[in-house]
Amino acid sequence: MSLPRITHLPSGRLLSAILHHQRLLPSIIPLTVPKRAVIQGEYRRPGQPRKAKFPWKKINFNFSKGLEGIKKHFTLLKKEFTDRWVGPEGKPIVEHMLEQNRAVWEFRGPESLGEWTVSSDREIGGHSEAYLKLGRNNNTCFLYGTLSSTPPRDGETRYSGYCTMRSKQPLASFDRKKHHDWSSFNTLHLRVRGDGRPWMINISAETYFSHQKDDIYCYFLYTRGGPYWQDVKIPFSKFFLTHRGRIQDDQHPVWLDKVNTIGFTLGDKADGPFQLEIDFIGVCKDYAHTEEFAYEAYKRNPEV
Amino acid sequence: MNPYILAILLFGLGLGTTITFASSHWLLAWMGLEMNTLAIIPLMAQHHHPRAVEATTKYFLTQAAAAATLLFASITNAWLTGQWEIQQITHPLPTTMITLALALKIGLAPLHAWLPEVLQGLDLTTGLILSTWQKLAPFALILQIQPSNSTTLIILGLASTLIGGWGGLNQTQLRKILAYSSIAHLGWMILVLQFSPSITLLTLLTYFIMTFSTFLVFKLNKSTNINTLATSWAKAPALTALTPLILLSLGGLPPLTGFMPKWLILQELTKQGLAPTATLAALSALLSLYFYLRLSYAMALTISPNNLTGTTPWRLPSTQLTYPLATSTAMTICLLPLTPAISALLTP
Repeated sequence: MSLPRITHLPSGRLLSAILHHQRLLPSIIPLTVPKRAVIQGEYRRPGQPRKAKFPWKKINFNFSKGLEGIKKHFTLLKKEFTDRWVGPEGKPIVEHMLEQNRAVWEFRGPESLGEWTVSSDREIGGHSEAYLKLGRNNNTCFLYGTLSSTPPRDGETRYSGYCTMRSKQPLASFDRKKHHDWSSFNTLHLRVRGDGRPWMINISAETYFSHQKDDIYCYFLYTRGGPYWQDVKIPFSKFFLTHRGRIQDDQHPVWLDKVNTIGFTLGDKADGPFQLEIDFIGVCKDYAHTEEFAYEAYKRNPEV
Repeated sequence: MNPYILAILLFGLGLGTTITFASSHWLLAWMGLEMNTLAIIPLMAQHHHPRAVEATTKYFLTQAAAAATLLFASITNAWLTGQWEIQQITHPLPTTMITLALALKIGLAPLHAWLPEVLQGLDLTTGLILSTWQKLAPFALILQIQPSNSTTLIILGLASTLIGGWGGLNQTQLRKILAYSSIAHLGWMILVLQFSPSITLLTLLTYFIMTFSTFLVFKLNKSTNINTLATSWAKAPALTALTPLILLSLGGLPPLTGFMPKWLILQELTKQGLAPTATLAALSALLSLYFYLRLSYAMALTISPNNLTGTTPWRLPSTQLTYPLATSTAMTICLLPLTPAISALLTP
């Protein structure tokens, strides 16, 4: 309510209006913090089912599938026990010490596509499309589609036009979370064939608090458009911390002992078709790279 | 960190432990323990890395739970017996509760699950303080209680040695290895507590010296996993030659200092008629020895893959003080012949 209107109020209502001062200044600041769903928006995380079903409706009792599931989980559990006798992560310690390169994701068959989740702004009502298939000779993965930066007509989204491909969290037996341990490596090595667009690589590490759920370490992947393959080596020291897409002030290097997922995002505001072909994603150890972190933090209270 | 704040926190740590040492009233002892917890929290979280904050939170929750249990147990004892003396606690219920609370404080199995994750999230200096100084105050209390529950203590001890051995086997992160080593050593200390508290004190002090050396070695090499340790030959070759001795001392091999506590404990256990317990403890020490040997193998017996054909890299002088490391390494390696003198010093 603006000031002139207040003065027209009778004094009794003015007093109650002062006591309920939220009505006095409704459009300036909310004096209570809205709940998390309002701030963070209700949108379906990619990879989650479309309609929220009641838990009892989700039960699909199938005897043979159940048996298969039991067999799979117990096999994984047995493998975990026997791997312990061999060495860390199931490999002998000598192999762990000598390892300098490791191809973590290689797209050599249809089952490799099942480890990835593809999504686009279709989740929030946009018009981009993204698909993932195997490339030529079943040797590579091919992410393609169309970007459309027309925002969805829901009254609150202002920008749109992105698509992403993210690896699924590795799981141990009985669907327990497992992490990638890349602490012996310091560089990400990819072999890609893009279309000249600038992509962003997102690495998500294991977090503890719920408000760190969207903490992602990002860096850029500039692709050349040509028919030649491109070897990209990005040191992990270059990855910077973002939260929900916004770069944070308090930066720190990514700790590589518990990496959950890696993802590729395209959101370059250029409408039209895109494609990215990936041969493999690996990690390697570059002994000549000694930088710990590429970004320096400014002292917030410098002594003058 | 601001040097004044750092000074306040370190003095707070010292004061907490001193208060617990000097106290004969349970409330004062509890207060000292709480001061220790609170003083180390900012030290652990000073780097503002999410993993450090996670480690701090986990540490605070476990230590607060242990302190609450301790307070509850001492109040129960006051209610049942009418007095607050630390050394006069005789009723089995408060004694058991206090033993379990102190076991959670120091990280004895089966209350050990927090220790590897917490140590992994910290930098090496804070990890050192956690592994050494923070164990003094709870041990001061453990040594003063009249242990009447022999089965509990033996179970705690054996479980710790076994879990410390098995858990550390496939680790590649050095801080987690040191956490499991801490659990195993604490197991040895608790095994002999009811028969000879002076041997417990001796084991604790020997463990402190050995862990101090190990942490400082890792700090000098700036290494937090086995692969980085493998490149330490180029940074400090003399230290790389000595570190296997430090690690073997942690493993308890003669003629190094680490053998002293194990020998005395096994002797005491056999005298008390617990030969199977002694055998099981000695066999589980083999598991720990395996991962110490693995560290020595990675560090001193192999060269990590590199492309330096003959030239060694520049070796710049370290900015870290080497005097404490030199002293503690000497003590870690050479103190076994002084066993009679040290036992005489510690026996009242």
